Amino acid sequence: MKVLLMGHPNVGKSVFFNRLTGANVTESNYPGTTVDYTKGWMKIEGEDVELVDVPGTFSLDPKDKAEDVAVAMLHETKDAKVITVIDASKIERGLYLALEIIEEGYPVVIALNMWDVAWDKNIRIDARNLEKILGVPVVPTTAISGEGIKELVSRLKSAKPVEVDDIIANAGGLT
Amino acid sequence: MKKKLSEMDYDEKGTVIEIDRDLQKRVAGMGIRVGKKLRMITKQPIKGPVDVIVDEAETSLGLELADRIIVEVD
Repeated sequence: MKVLLMGHPNVGKSVFFNRLTGANVTESNYPGTTVDYTKGWMKIEGEDVELVDVPGTFSLDPKDKAEDVAVAMLHETKDAKVITVIDASKIERGLYLALEIIEEGYPVVIALNMWDVAWDKNIRIDARNLEKILGVPVVPTTAISGEGIKELVSRLKSAKPVEVDDIIANAGGLT
Repeated sequence: MKKKLSEMDYDEKGTVIEIDRDLQKRVAGMGIRVGKKLRMITKQPIKGPVDVIVDEAETSLGLELADRIIVEVD
């Protein structure tokens, strides 16, 4: 199984990566670019899983080289599962990217990272309800302290593709 | 009053009412869409970017983008 870590720049993807993979890591340039990415391995219930730390991107319409690479990496691994890391204190724009990835048919798990920061800013998110609406696992995490990471990994296997029309219906239609 | 985002004054607040169509997707990933409230916090001189706060988070927009976003200021 292959798992991609995707999200905006500076939301903690690499912290996740380091927590999940440990030491066995290779860093390389994406062919033809100077944009580097890291990949490593982890074990989930005995199965070897390849984890890729994709460069940060704001959307799937690339605006610079790093975003080009991020989008290309997503598109060339059609069978990948995607952990979308969102800064919980900036949830709306994070969800925009998550929805773009869901729309392309990838099984997605959402990590609402920096949960502690959002909490400190008095931002409260009903993760359960969000999960109900989106139909994909939504897990509050604080990657720096490791909170929520176990749950995130355990929910990977329940990630499955979701139809955007279903999400719209669950959200009560378009406004 | 309507004005371009690039014409907002420091600390001025407003609501986005219009974005050039071909720009909409580009700025959506930055959290900017019609109906969003924002506050201008910094403008860099010599055609530099405009910084705004959207949803408690800072975003920096190039002047050529900020010129094509219309805001109703409070």
